[in-house]
Amino acid sequence: MKTFLENIKVAFQSLALNKVRSFLTMLGIIIGVGAVVAMLSIGTGAQNMVLENIQDIGSNLIIIAPGEQDQDSGYEQMLGMQKQDQLKIKDVEAIKRQSELIDGAIPVILSSSIASYLGDNSKVSIYASSREAEEIYNFEIETGNFYTDSDVANSSNVAVIGQTVIEDLFGKKNPIGELIKIDGKNFTVIGTIKEMGTDQFGNDQDNMISVPITTAQNKLYGLDYINLILAKARNEQVIDSANTEITNILRKEHNLRPDESNDFTVRSQTQILDIVGNIANIFTITIAGIASISLLVGGIGIMNIMLVSVTERTREIGIRKAVGAKNKDILIQFLIESVVLSISGGIVGIAFAVIVSILINNLTVLDTSVTIFPIILALSFSSVVGLFFGIYPAMRAARLNPIDALRYE
Amino acid sequence: MSDKLINISNISKIYKLGKVDVKALRRIDLQIREGEFITVMGPSGSGKSTLMNILGCLDTPTNGKYLLEDVDISQLNDNQLAAIRNKKIGFVFQNFNLLSRSNVYRNVELPLIYSNNNLGRKKKVLEAIDSVGLTDWISHRPSELSGGQKQRVAIARALSNDPSIIFADEPTGNLDSITGEEIIAIFQKLNKQGKTILMVTHEQEIARHSQKIIYLRDGLIGKKEKIDNPIDAEDHLKKMPRIEDRVN
Repeated sequence: MKTFLENIKVAFQSLALNKVRSFLTMLGIIIGVGAVVAMLSIGTGAQNMVLENIQDIGSNLIIIAPGEQDQDSGYEQMLGMQKQDQLKIKDVEAIKRQSELIDGAIPVILSSSIASYLGDNSKVSIYASSREAEEIYNFEIETGNFYTDSDVANSSNVAVIGQTVIEDLFGKKNPIGELIKIDGKNFTVIGTIKEMGTDQFGNDQDNMISVPITTAQNKLYGLDYINLILAKARNEQVIDSANTEITNILRKEHNLRPDESNDFTVRSQTQILDIVGNIANIFTITIAGIASISLLVGGIGIMNIMLVSVTERTREIGIRKAVGAKNKDILIQFLIESVVLSISGGIVGIAFAVIVSILINNLTVLDTSVTIFPIILALSFSSVVGLFFGIYPAMRAARLNPIDALRYE
Repeated sequence: MSDKLINISNISKIYKLGKVDVKALRRIDLQIREGEFITVMGPSGSGKSTLMNILGCLDTPTNGKYLLEDVDISQLNDNQLAAIRNKKIGFVFQNFNLLSRSNVYRNVELPLIYSNNNLGRKKKVLEAIDSVGLTDWISHRPSELSGGQKQRVAIARALSNDPSIIFADEPTGNLDSITGEEIIAIFQKLNKQGKTILMVTHEQEIARHSQKIIYLRDGLIGKKEKIDNPIDAEDHLKKMPRIEDRVN
């Protein structure tokens, strides 16, 4: 044990003697370990955020979007080339009427408009839906009321507004009962929604006005279709069957022949969770690949410098052997030195990653978290690298003939 | 145990240089008793270094038998030889061979690090340093010491694990005559305390401080000369001209 501590001390001494060289050698390990730990902490943060958002909405939620979404149509959709008018309010009615596995369904139109009050203008997100949105989308009413079924039936000009809109347009004034303009049309504010914070992309969810879906269709945008249908399954167990049921109802409703493909896409939150999980896995594999390459490069650097060190210290090895060091003692001494080199690199790398993670935490909406797992992983990997790439130089040192080593100039 | 600390018989060492066999030692017999102070002399190429390497367990003979304290060590492997060097042998080299990055204490401690016995390590190190008079220099590095001091550190290192024999290879070769004489005085003091010493030197004058001179030539032992009245280094130092501002 004492010899072991002695060896660690000797290792630090000899590393300290060549500070610049030691640092440059460690750089490969520092970058590798630092990148892995930082990226994993960002990845964990992003994943947690997505999961949290989904949990907020509720994992029983089923999302029905227009058009068939597969990998090919994804780009067309992004470019707005695909028609998105397949879903109608009557589809929602059909689902509500015929499905046995869902608790409720709402039509959704998402858009943006200019809202104004007494000359103050503000760009806001419009979230148009039906009365059940309060429950299905988890809107929490702060003051006033949400719109009713009759508001929806009559296309009433009523609005429920979010906290940012209140701040921007009303300041400290009570908005209930006030008349605002949305794209020039008059609306009466009947309720306010509690603060909801930002979503995973950093969007402000409180800069939002919710109006009845029919009002949005008829008076604001002149649409006969809707953007989304949200349905809530009775419980998590029936989600998959509810998906199938909804698909069948909508195919019948849209008069699709058996050989025609769906003109809509049904997704559940669990499927979205799977997708998030898959993305996280791909991310992790990519990081692992980058990490192994940079640790490999770092390891080669360590081997290189250890070989130089063995040559430089040939006479020292000779002296140690002459006074009784066994091959094993020399081997251990040089192995410890290379492991100390790579673990020091690992520790500096982790420190570096923690700093980056804290910076990202403070400067972006991402809630990064450095967990203990990547740190342990990084430390064990860097010590394995040190051992693996140190063994050849250490064996060269151990095998030196003491007579020749003593004579080495 | 016989009274012979070292008993080699019929020792040969043959180096293969390409197709040529170089016979560095040819069937040498040599006995060293406990407490002797012996010098080996001979021109370069006479086999002195080879003999010292074999006696010092740094090398093994091609043929013959080497008994060190009645243990046959001619057939031992590297690790067993390392253990013998550690416990039974102390080396003093012409060029000191100290660890330049370690201080006096660490250098003297070195053999004890490789012996498993940690008992009283510090005491042994301090005693060895005291016996060569370097207690005040204990935390200095070799680069801060004079040649004579460096050689004294080497002697302390050779003593620290209390070996059976000290091998000194040209210990005065890199020193001026007065400093060399001081080093020999330390050897004589140690010999009087019972240490067995085998020294290699070129200088007749230095050799005449020991009790016996063995002349080596062409890998064979020539004559052996017994010195009836070895020069006493302490006495001799008093007669030598002093340089007043000499550093230790």
